[in-house]
Amino acid sequence: MASNNPYLPYLGTLVGVRDLATGVKMFQVALDDPGERAGFTYQPGQFAFVSAFGVGEAPFGLASTVLRGPLLEFAVNRVGTVTDALHRLGEGDVVGVRGPFGNWFALDKMKGKNVILLGGGIGGAPLRPVIHTILDQRADYGRLTILWAARLPSLLIFTDEFDGWRAAPDTALHVTVDQGDEAWTGNVGLITELLEKVAPAPENAVTITCGPPIMIKNTLLTLKRLGFSPDQMIVTLEAKMKCGIGKCGRCNLGEKFVCTDGPVFSCAEIGQFLESF
Amino acid sequence: MGEGSELIDKIRAKARELLQGGRVDCFIGYEEGSRGRARPAFIYDPQDAERLIWDERCAHNLVTYLHQFKSPLRRGEEPPRVGILVKPCDSRSLNILFREEQIERERVYVVGVTCDGVRTNGRPQERCRRCAERVPLVYDIVMGGVPNVLGRDDYADVTKLEQMSPRERLAFWTKEFDRCIRCYACRQACPACYCFECVAEQLDPAWMGIAIDLPQKQFFHAMRAYHLAGRCSGCSACEEACPMGIPLSLLNRKVAREVEALFGYKAGQDAETPPPLATFKKEEQLPM
Amino acid sequence: MQVTTREHLTAWLDGLAGHLTLIAPKTVEQRVLYRPVADSSEIAFDFARTDLPVKEHFLPPTHVLLSIEKGKEGVRLGEPSPERERVVFGLRPCDARALRVLDALFLKEPADPYYAERREKTTLVGLACREMGETCFCTSLGLAPDEAGDVDVMLTEMEEGGGEGERGRGREGGRRYAVQVMTEKGAAILGVLNLEKVEGTLPVPPAGSKTPVLEAGAWPRLFDHAYWARLADRCLSCRLCTYVCPTCRCFDVRDYEVPCEGASSGGASNGSAPGGRIERLRAWDSCMAEGYRRIAGGHNPRLTKGDRLRNRLYCKFCYYPQDYGPVACVGCGRCIAMCPVNVDVVEVLADVATL
Repeated sequence: MASNNPYLPYLGTLVGVRDLATGVKMFQVALDDPGERAGFTYQPGQFAFVSAFGVGEAPFGLASTVLRGPLLEFAVNRVGTVTDALHRLGEGDVVGVRGPFGNWFALDKMKGKNVILLGGGIGGAPLRPVIHTILDQRADYGRLTILWAARLPSLLIFTDEFDGWRAAPDTALHVTVDQGDEAWTGNVGLITELLEKVAPAPENAVTITCGPPIMIKNTLLTLKRLGFSPDQMIVTLEAKMKCGIGKCGRCNLGEKFVCTDGPVFSCAEIGQFLESF
Repeated sequence: MGEGSELIDKIRAKARELLQGGRVDCFIGYEEGSRGRARPAFIYDPQDAERLIWDERCAHNLVTYLHQFKSPLRRGEEPPRVGILVKPCDSRSLNILFREEQIERERVYVVGVTCDGVRTNGRPQERCRRCAERVPLVYDIVMGGVPNVLGRDDYADVTKLEQMSPRERLAFWTKEFDRCIRCYACRQACPACYCFECVAEQLDPAWMGIAIDLPQKQFFHAMRAYHLAGRCSGCSACEEACPMGIPLSLLNRKVAREVEALFGYKAGQDAETPPPLATFKKEEQLPM
Repeated sequence: MQVTTREHLTAWLDGLAGHLTLIAPKTVEQRVLYRPVADSSEIAFDFARTDLPVKEHFLPPTHVLLSIEKGKEGVRLGEPSPERERVVFGLRPCDARALRVLDALFLKEPADPYYAERREKTTLVGLACREMGETCFCTSLGLAPDEAGDVDVMLTEMEEGGGEGERGRGREGGRRYAVQVMTEKGAAILGVLNLEKVEGTLPVPPAGSKTPVLEAGAWPRLFDHAYWARLADRCLSCRLCTYVCPTCRCFDVRDYEVPCEGASSGGASNGSAPGGRIERLRAWDSCMAEGYRRIAGGHNPRLTKGDRLRNRLYCKFCYYPQDYGPVACVGCGRCIAMCPVNVDVVEVLADVATL
């Protein structure tokens, strides 16, 4: 069997593991083989499978961007057996990486437009490379509005980057939690309520939403009420996956597969889906 | 069986009455299937009660479907009340589920029907040949005539198994499980298998693996037999559902016979007697 | 037309079994399954349809994707050893067509190397059907019971002089088969098989049913119909239909530690041992299982049996043809014969045409 085996992962080493939020860790992976490291190019929106050898692998959105270096970053929420096994790993441990898979955000088409990003919980992870790309090429994009949400303050991710985001030119960050705690002084409420409050204008704008399915559905409804057309509403979906290459049959929404036709879809495309995600 | 078409009319009339009066939201019985088969029927509308049939092709144990009616049909409603047609063997499954508090007695209207035995593809089922219970053990109303045939269970099949040496028994079951494909038809057809997450599919802890190989298959069947100890009604739905013709009820009957010998208990005779494997009596302490 | 006899066939098959893996229909208890056989005496020559499809030899119920060894020098990944050359004998046209259906997905870039290798290393010797089974409906899907285009060699049993049914012992060896060589691979495998050229034509295949099969584009408008939930009321949500189906292919992947020398993997394991060997296994899975689409965290987009049964039928008749070309059903009828609660796809197709 040739190395042309799409099920064979690259080997990588964890060079950084840090807490992002309660139950969420950030993993930085350096692929071991220099050729594989150099060849692993990807766009914001794509995902990769990370293996915790001995348990299995699961798909994670790439939370890094090639613009900022060769390390692959994944935000991993501990919810199941694979993520639990990953959380028990530390710096120096070996993981497997398969990818990159899926389609990506059409950032080129967003140049010159106002970009509104809505991230709920761990859903913020795939939006991070978008933020980084825009900040690194600031003049190419219009106003950047980031709406960030989580159920609790302790579940907000990338809080250490908030100041940097706010400090960027023509960039606004709005944060909300479903439920506050004693220390919390910010917004309390759903992201849809925050969205109504911020009320970004739909003219020359594009939105990207990522989060739990119910959050995506409600956010799209609110965006529609604010005047955004289906083509202006981009989402990235997740699904249970086993292969990432459209073979295992699992992640289909009608005749579309989240792994190969997605995970990035426009609201117009989702409207054509027979099934609900 | 019974009074033929007169009995069928009675069953239909009862279902119609229950649905029309709002006593049940759904009546589970049997209907004409394709290719001369009978199949489970779910009647929601009184006028659809005409679809109900009753004859020797009605072999399925419908009690297993009660599990899917535990949640409301529509959000904000109460769970539905269900009418169900049961044969004597099925009624044993009902008793077991009532005893285990899986189904509320008041939510089910039980139409019992006497039975002279069922057939698969025209062939009488083995379990009917040895069945001594021809009248359901629990019902709100019972229909059908006095049963004609009374069988006797001599456990000849279990005795034959017990006469094999352990090595022979292992060889026997290995040969049978070899063609198992882990389709879980046996488990899904069984009224007593209702766990939200079966041990066979649990990931954490992973009691067994996903492999469809002999060790996992042996583990699954042995595990299921043990989980059914003192709970199996002997309805043979598992064996009838199996696409590979594996003699699953033999395994369950062996365990049932052990339970009967140890505790003097047969599952499903009533809904009150505490099942032995869920009961602890002080006098059962092992000697120190 | 070229013909051979049963006697010559068995001699040829014995020869093949000597140097490669011969897979043929074999009686296992009361079932007929495609199994490796040591010689032709194990072959069930007279059978209608095997109970499991040949797909288990191309997409095995369980096999190793890769091995993971954790040693002092680090982690090393290994791929399984190459497969042996194989011949499948007695392949019915429906199962052979099913391989073409699976090819459309598994050989599409990026190709599945495990499937591709098995396909490449297998020569298919087909056996045309003499009669339609009670649940067969291949003809409704544009297939014929004597379709030879999907195999390397096609055998068609000829009617004996006085008609069918000469089953006396002495006549078995004289039973005659027409031999059609369909591919170079087929020509290569024939080797020393004794062939006789005769005048005549192939037997007329049995006539089949013509259930209407709605084309892919007509299914979407029926998606929200109440029919699916009602149909699924009696579904047990087991996996039987998908496992006996020649074209169903969904799979699960998971890692397991290999406990010790000689013991099998696939056993339970949650951790990763510091040393030792791990196998990444691929096993059959089923879209009919309740937890099939459930992600860690609990969200399950296909919660009800109606959702899942509808998805399975749509996958076969609507999605698969849109994505890959062929309808993912070959009309073998196994699901109809074996579903414990009489979910009958032919009945569904007839119903769907009227919805």
